[in-house]
Amino acid sequence: MLELAAILMAQFTIPEEIGTTPRSLLLLIPLLVSIAIVYKATKVFRVSAGNFIKESALLFGSILVFMVITALALMAVAWFVVR
Amino acid sequence: MAYHKTEENPWPLMFLVGLAGWFLPGGGYLVLKETGRALIIFVAITATFVAGLYIGSIGVVDPIGYRLWYVVQMMSSPLVAIIGYHTQGGGFPVYGRPIEMGQIYTSTAGLLNLLCIVNAVYMAYIRKTQDLEQ
Repeated sequence: MLELAAILMAQFTIPEEIGTTPRSLLLLIPLLVSIAIVYKATKVFRVSAGNFIKESALLFGSILVFMVITALALMAVAWFVVR
Repeated sequence: MAYHKTEENPWPLMFLVGLAGWFLPGGGYLVLKETGRALIIFVAITATFVAGLYIGSIGVVDPIGYRLWYVVQMMSSPLVAIIGYHTQGGGFPVYGRPIEMGQIYTSTAGLLNLLCIVNAVYMAYIRKTQDLEQ
């Protein structure tokens, strides 16, 4: 048991391998999930499973769509500047 | 629905809720007996903070090397100071993209907890000053 705990703790002393690739942007998704859940937890009047999940998913989706649109717009600007 | 003001002093409860919320993410809601809300917030904020530590290593919490990040990370809980005590001065390897992601995750957890503290304190104020009549 102690060995298992030590192995588990050791995982937190070495950074993960994350390259500077577009795929590293996917790490944004768990953060977005957390933000949507916490924000909705502070906003809903009464916490009930169905309503809360629906509200959180909706917020998550809206932020994600907005970020994708912003990224596409920035890509378009960059493309025009480079050309 | 109608509200009417009561004469009760809201400050002790607001202070308690704020302190509980800082010590334990969601603790403020627990004081207000909002167990479901408290549990959701505790799990979400703790998971975000732990994910940040896992990605960037505990070296992302450094009160000397990354002072401003540390201030924001401390909003998650004063218990972060224990990690800071062990990692201060850069004893753990941190570099490149992992440290950026780790700091973003841990700091976001801190800011989310600040949002929850403010919301819980406001909720405590409302409960003490206004009785809801249905």
